Amino acid sequence: MSKKILMVDDDVDFCAAVKLLLESRAYEVVLAHDGREGLAKARAAGPDLVILDVMMPEMNGYDVCVVLKSDPKLSHIPVILLTAVDQSIFKTAYTKEMGLMTEADDYIAKPVDSAELARRVEQLLSP
Amino acid sequence: MLTKPNILVVENNIAVLNKVNQLLTGRGYNVVVVETAREALDFIQKNPGGVDIMLLSLELPRLGAMPLLETLRKARSEILILAMSADCGEEAIEAMHAGAYDCIRKTFTTERFWTKMDRAIERFHLKRDLEALQRERRSLQGCGSDSMRAIFDSVADGILVTDLHGNLVFCNSKASDMLDISCDELGRPVQQFIRHKELEKLLCAARVEPVEHPKGHYEVCLLETGDKRLRIHVNPVINRDGAPIGMVALIHDVARISGMDSLKDDFIFMVSHQLKSPLSSMLMQLSVVVDGLAGELNARQKDLLAKAKEKTKGMIILVNDLLDFRRIEEGKVLQQIERLDLQEILQRTVELTAMSAEDKGITLETHVTENLPLISGDRNGIEAVFLNLINNAIKYTPGGGRVTVDIYESGQDLRIKVVDTGIGIAQSDMQRIFDKFYRIRSEMTKNIAGTGLGLSIVKKIVDLHRGTIHVESEENKGTTFIVSLPIAR
Repeated sequence: MSKKILMVDDDVDFCAAVKLLLESRAYEVVLAHDGREGLAKARAAGPDLVILDVMMPEMNGYDVCVVLKSDPKLSHIPVILLTAVDQSIFKTAYTKEMGLMTEADDYIAKPVDSAELARRVEQLLSP
Repeated sequence: MLTKPNILVVENNIAVLNKVNQLLTGRGYNVVVVETAREALDFIQKNPGGVDIMLLSLELPRLGAMPLLETLRKARSEILILAMSADCGEEAIEAMHAGAYDCIRKTFTTERFWTKMDRAIERFHLKRDLEALQRERRSLQGCGSDSMRAIFDSVADGILVTDLHGNLVFCNSKASDMLDISCDELGRPVQQFIRHKELEKLLCAARVEPVEHPKGHYEVCLLETGDKRLRIHVNPVINRDGAPIGMVALIHDVARISGMDSLKDDFIFMVSHQLKSPLSSMLMQLSVVVDGLAGELNARQKDLLAKAKEKTKGMIILVNDLLDFRRIEEGKVLQQIERLDLQEILQRTVELTAMSAEDKGITLETHVTENLPLISGDRNGIEAVFLNLINNAIKYTPGGGRVTVDIYESGQDLRIKVVDTGIGIAQSDMQRIFDKFYRIRSEMTKNIAGTGLGLSIVKKIVDLHRGTIHVESEENKGTTFIVSLPIAR
């Protein structure tokens, strides 16, 4: 049975491209376009991995991550944070800080290459 | 051309009056004749400036010549008075004491009349010239004091002058406001009221090293006081003999210009930030299409889209560099100073860049001295230095080349040496490679993506760490960058 990935990003075009990419790698992809929808789908669909964009209106990715990680039923699901906030120089400090705060499992800076994203997803889903 | 004087003749002897009138009008003089002192006074009062020379009979009845002379000497001293008398005796001497210039006998011959008259007219012209010169001089003197002061106070910038001893000799009102100087400070040494050390030093420079300041030499300093940002140009004041006699400072408030600058920076920052998200999206979309995940592509389509993808990457690099640059300029780089192990940072950078070196068939080598001392610095900043230098080396080295990174101790410093076998940098470009947005344009570089910000970022970070960066290069042979950073104590 194929693994299910929940992709949460308010950029619909980005989501569509990532969906194509991940489906080509035989993953099942569920999309959500804001934080609340993401949380709802995380509960309803039971994904094996969540990719969370940080910059979303209203409920941002960090908030969603904190909620996911504090819910005993969901905290086991690995989370990749995805953001364009990062600048190349400031990557390290930012990653460390946000990783600690939100307990995300990985962190990817936009722009991300398709191959790189696929590799990171694979890493987290391999047993 | 000389203007002919207007002549008033005051004579009650009709014969004399007619004769004088005849002679003067014969030579084209403008003549007015009256018979009494009263009429003369009336005419003069009604025609200010209408009489230049007066021929005055000393034998007038009633209000006589003498009272008229006295009155005119007080009220109309500009009128040249020639007395006319029957014998030019006592009364003539008296008249000349009272201000008359000369005396003509009424029994004159034509020749004698003109001898005296011509002298008087010449005297009139000389007096006019002298007055004109005096007026001119007065107006110049006025410049030196009141009007000059008004001019300097109306200038939009501050002007301040010191003498050779560093005493304040002049200060316009703008300069007083800008530097908070009161008028009482005139003549006092600037050290007593200029609170900015650098400006004080410049203003006293004429005293300290007068020879060092040739004509035209100037220095600029920037001061920030409260809401003002002052740019001050200081020049020596050079006298006609070429010797410095003091210093003059021109003070310009650049707060408004700075405000515009930061507005412009904010705008660039905002635009960069807004571009980042859609560019990321575009890159992902293009990647997926190029990878054939949205359907099979023919070779031509794939080629075109791959190029679009590379261009998009270039734009993302530009946006990132702009954002980085902005953060460095805001001084956000040195916020977290910690002890850093350069070997560890190098290793991480090599991991990040190994892929692109491998893609181009470039050998990437590192040599690090054992037990390297630590430096203190900002991790992100130093990472950016490594990343930029190594990325550049890979970018500007053709396939099959070699990039070597050495880190070693040298005196009080650690040296990071990045050597490539790339296209090199022409001597003429050497001076400018650290300038913001400078890119070397040549056949070799036209296909290499870049923003011209990388090296200026590196330079800024190295400067902030009190380090130095040094570059050697030979065209088509390669380039060596050496960064020295002080070892942490």
